[in-house]
Amino acid sequence: MTALENLRKKLGTIEPWVESRGTHWLNPGSLSVRQVATVMNEVHARFITITAYQLPGSEGFRLEYHWDLDGRLLGFPFVIAGNSTESIFDLCEAADWIEREVHEEYSIDFTGRAYEPLLLRAGDKSGVNLREEPAAKPSAVAPGQKEVAK
Amino acid sequence: MSYKIPMGPYHPGLEEPYKLDMICEGETVQDAELHIGFNFRGIEHLAETRNYYQVIALMERVCGICSFIHTLTLCQAMEKLAGLEPPPRAQYIRVVMAELERLHSHVLWAGIAAKLMGFKTMFMTCFALREKVMDVLQAISGNRVNYSMNRIGGVNRDVEDPLALIPLLDDLEREMMRTVIPIFTTSSTARSRCAGIGVLTHEKAISCAVVGPTARASGINQDLRRDAPYAAYAEMKFEVPVEQAGDVRARLFVRALEIMESCRILRQALTAMPPGEISVGGDKFAFVTGTATSRVEAPRGEVMYSVSWKEGSRNPARVHVRTPTYANMPAVRWMVRGARLADTPLIQASIDPCYSCTDR
Repeated sequence: MTALENLRKKLGTIEPWVESRGTHWLNPGSLSVRQVATVMNEVHARFITITAYQLPGSEGFRLEYHWDLDGRLLGFPFVIAGNSTESIFDLCEAADWIEREVHEEYSIDFTGRAYEPLLLRAGDKSGVNLREEPAAKPSAVAPGQKEVAK
Repeated sequence: MSYKIPMGPYHPGLEEPYKLDMICEGETVQDAELHIGFNFRGIEHLAETRNYYQVIALMERVCGICSFIHTLTLCQAMEKLAGLEPPPRAQYIRVVMAELERLHSHVLWAGIAAKLMGFKTMFMTCFALREKVMDVLQAISGNRVNYSMNRIGGVNRDVEDPLALIPLLDDLEREMMRTVIPIFTTSSTARSRCAGIGVLTHEKAISCAVVGPTARASGINQDLRRDAPYAAYAEMKFEVPVEQAGDVRARLFVRALEIMESCRILRQALTAMPPGEISVGGDKFAFVTGTATSRVEAPRGEVMYSVSWKEGSRNPARVHVRTPTYANMPAVRWMVRGARLADTPLIQASIDPCYSCTDR
């Protein structure tokens, strides 16, 4: 049995691995990210990063978790409908900074952990960099009047 | 009584914008807190506003030391989305440039480490060597920092006479063997400043998922050039140096040995470089909708790019960059615990941090 099949068996999923452009993807189905992280620790896979994508309209976000297993790049895409998902920081220390970064850039809450102090910018506002908001309402500032930065 | 000593964001030892708050008991560091983001540039956001030519120039500026590596990783991901395979000669040129950049980065690091040890003569020796490597990079690309070598489907410039670079390589190798490596490995100054200092245990290195020489100095045998070969690395013969001690000296040894292995790879790539085209695909590219990831072993460790595209668009929908310092830096907290305050600049420097990459 190959390492990937062994891993799939450990995860207890019937979904097949799909190799696409050098990455082995597995649809986690009903598995939670914490269940995946636990199994990744058991097989000594190395955590790499989380890549966040904002889905169109109000569909939420897709978070792609990447691990390395003996040189193979593994990907697990999780779609979250709202603004929060479980943190894996307590299971995977290496996920600390990237969870904080995703929180700051997309305003996604990783539940079960603290965020202070912020990683990339001062202040307490999150979701200021990569998150797209619905079209802003027309400004209440009268023409010619200079808007004061808040 | 414990007290907090803030080091940075403008520290005379490491002229990079980050801050390490150290909680000390007397001269001993008990714990540390790291702060980054002082020069955060929002490059991932900017990338979404650049077309497929501009984004390469933009990503070249993520890092001033491994600028070639960043464009290589980006171009490899974009080539996957465009269905292009660079020709063999381009793959060899990519190996040559990547290894020259590794030499340049490791020799630069050795110089800075020597300076932090109070070893100014060695600092000057390393920087003189680095100049020779930069001369070669300039001879190939016409540039000393941002080389503009990579393009989608290959490289922009050929190496006209690869064998002419061999004497430069001989010179560099001789100098490394004669001066730098013996002094770093046998000098009592280097030993007393590095041995047993800033230890990152094997278990903690795994837990922090550190990469590159930092990982290999803590007994983790990983290197993407061997484990997941890209460009022409599958055709190169080389060893991956691994040390077990996890201290500053081990990180120094790993880089010194990697310099020799880089010379070995360069010699193979220059002598066996196949003839032919250096790029494919022309000037206009069509990308399919989807995401592609690419990983490259940079001088400091693994760089990973995730690039997402929508068919018909000239701009990427998303570019995510995971740099090696981003993975290695959190481990500094564990390295400085129990260390003397005076050793902490060298311990921080031992991971060869790049805050340009981290604050991308």
